[in-house]
Amino acid sequence: MALRIISARLGELGAIYEPHEGVNVQALIAGGFLEETHTAPAKSAKNKTKAPDAANTTQE
Amino acid sequence: MATSTYLSNPVVTVNAVDLSDQCSGATVNQTFAQLSNTAFGDTAMKYVAGLQENSITLDLYWSTASTETYATLKSLVGTSTNVTIKQTSAAVSATNPLGTLTGGFLAELPVVYTVGELATCSVTFNGGTFAYTEA
Repeated sequence: MALRIISARLGELGAIYEPHEGVNVQALIAGGFLEETHTAPAKSAKNKTKAPDAANTTQE
Repeated sequence: MATSTYLSNPVVTVNAVDLSDQCSGATVNQTFAQLSNTAFGDTAMKYVAGLQENSITLDLYWSTASTETYATLKSLVGTSTNVTIKQTSAAVSATNPLGTLTGGFLAELPVVYTVGELATCSVTFNGGTFAYTEA
């Protein structure tokens, strides 16, 4: 389960939060700075690649 | 003699939350107990360092708005957390060191309400280790 930043006081909004040692995560959640999320962070868009000859194959 | 005047831009975090815009003053005390190791034959007192006894006191405005002073501190009373302070918002360097109190204990949350004035609270984080980093 990841922690997502929902307050700019803590960091970039929407970013996944990696707590440092000694940080009270439960207090951050209670204060409305973090939320627990099951979703992974958004990945950058990538072009899907096809097999080189997939579009040119002819059936006989 | 070189002096520094800090007018507006120190950066203060409590439990990783930036409370700079709620803070009007900060006091850092980095202290070691001094243990006497003076012995016969010495002509002056001598000491070695004992345990650290550090603290950071912050003077804060008591804002109960979303994700401000109250939201930051309400769940920290009676627990330990980290507090950091640096002189300016510039990058950490030898001339702008970052002071970090790790594991400072917040024993109380005293709030002062005065008619005609902004509510304030002065909180002290006691104990823990303190160190400056320059990079």
